[in-house]
Amino acid sequence: MEKEFDSRRDTEVSREEMASVITALEPDQIISTKEHHHCPRRRLTRTEMVLFWGLRIYLVFMVGVVVYQIWTGVR
Amino acid sequence: MQMNEPNTTSELRRFAINQQVSDTDVVITHEDIDRAHDRERVSATRARRGFRPRLGLFWLLIGPGILVMLGENDGPSMLSYAATGARFGVGFFLPFVVLTFVMACVVQEMTVRLGAATHRGHAELIFDRFGPFWGWFSMIDLMIGNFLTLVTEFIAIRAGLGFFGVRPAVAVLGALLVLSVALMTHRYWTWERIILAAAMFNLAFVPVALLTHPQWGAVGRALVTWKPLPGGLTQETVLILLANIGATVTPWMLFFQQSAIADKGLTTRDIRMGRLDTALGAALATIAALATILATAPLFLHHMSAANFEAAEFAQALQPFVGYWGAALFALGMFEAGMVAAITISTSSAYAFGEVARRPHSLNLPFKQGRTFYLVLLVEAVAAAGLVLIPGIPLVYIVLLVNVIAVLAMPPALLFLYMLVNDREIMGSLVSPAWANVLALGVVVILVGAGLLFGVSVITPNALALVGGR
Repeated sequence: MEKEFDSRRDTEVSREEMASVITALEPDQIISTKEHHHCPRRRLTRTEMVLFWGLRIYLVFMVGVVVYQIWTGVR
Repeated sequence: MQMNEPNTTSELRRFAINQQVSDTDVVITHEDIDRAHDRERVSATRARRGFRPRLGLFWLLIGPGILVMLGENDGPSMLSYAATGARFGVGFFLPFVVLTFVMACVVQEMTVRLGAATHRGHAELIFDRFGPFWGWFSMIDLMIGNFLTLVTEFIAIRAGLGFFGVRPAVAVLGALLVLSVALMTHRYWTWERIILAAAMFNLAFVPVALLTHPQWGAVGRALVTWKPLPGGLTQETVLILLANIGATVTPWMLFFQQSAIADKGLTTRDIRMGRLDTALGAALATIAALATILATAPLFLHHMSAANFEAAEFAQALQPFVGYWGAALFALGMFEAGMVAAITISTSSAYAFGEVARRPHSLNLPFKQGRTFYLVLLVEAVAAAGLVLIPGIPLVYIVLLVNVIAVLAMPPALLFLYMLVNDREIMGSLVSPAWANVLALGVVVILVGAGLLFGVSVITPNALALVGGR
């Protein structure tokens, strides 16, 4: 996996801190582990794509309606 | 961070083997250590039995739910409620506002489960599961909506403090200073407690409502019968209807609560408390919203036109009914609403940007390590604040635009949420039960219906007569 940012720090971590992190946090809560374990991408079905684009078109159309209302209001 | 002790290294190696990653890839950061300290307190409190430890556990785990709900009682929301009370008095909109908060609870509960189950923010999950196209798309949607909303928060801050004679530039700069000071803690827990304390001032509208001596019988009747609705269903009613929905259910809330839950470190064991946190937040926010409607209802009873009121003007108009201190509390409430929302909304933008751009994103980060996170947050806030100070800018139209756009942008955002929370691959057994899905789809239907009704009322106002309006 591509490492997007390096969270290594120049300060030292004590043994207590290390133990605290490993026992208190769930494995996928540790930042560097999260960087290496991304949720896999899912394949969208045709219905899902239609829904995504349908709602996107709805949003663009309705924003146009808002702009029209403001324009008529200003006039 | 360098691993310098033999025992520490072997612990790390064991951990890395369990996680199937190279031990050189596991790096413990400052953020991990802070979060681990918070989780240790939660575990220690959970291990104890009795009422007080339970209360202590609740105290440790509350935060994101209350913050998101009271944060959404922001400048434009309180302005919408004030306009509702002044235009329609006590009637239909009281139970309607309760319904909108129930809708908000249904939606936000899903973010609690998602955040606790995946430990990831909303934008990051959209990016990972649906790909970069939809990830960036939804993040840009959020950023635009948040920026417009932030502008209205600074309008509320300016107007609220304007009641006390504070000059706009001083009010806006002061607000930016408060926002920056809250960030200087570099600790999620401290930041959360400071903002929670500030958010409680949202209840300042309650004493103002009590000062107007509401007719409780009429309030009870309205809550049960959903009546009266003076003027019936008109274009103005539809606009207020939409503004009130936009005052309660908006996209930034999804992104903020899920990211805050991941930043706070909540796990699946904390979901029950997360739900309680959300319900408590919704209850407090409902009380504040209803109080604001009741507070401005005397303007309706005395036939005072409030069509073009801004926050400070509401406070001034209320002065004959609630006295100077009542009006001052109302103005302070407006300031608080804008201030808390400015902080939470700019934080939600910074979280989303960090998650999509794969940059460190946490309130536990020192400035040097979380430069991008803090810069996005501050730059967005400064730009919005600057816009408010431009002379002659049509602030009233921006407020109108923001509330309506929030409602219109919600269905696409809800679709992502619905699909993620039903995604067995990331949620496991925590996927939504059937009843939760029915409720969530009900919310989508109401939102799309309200949006379409608004569209009809604008394009062909006469068509409202077909659905019993005029």
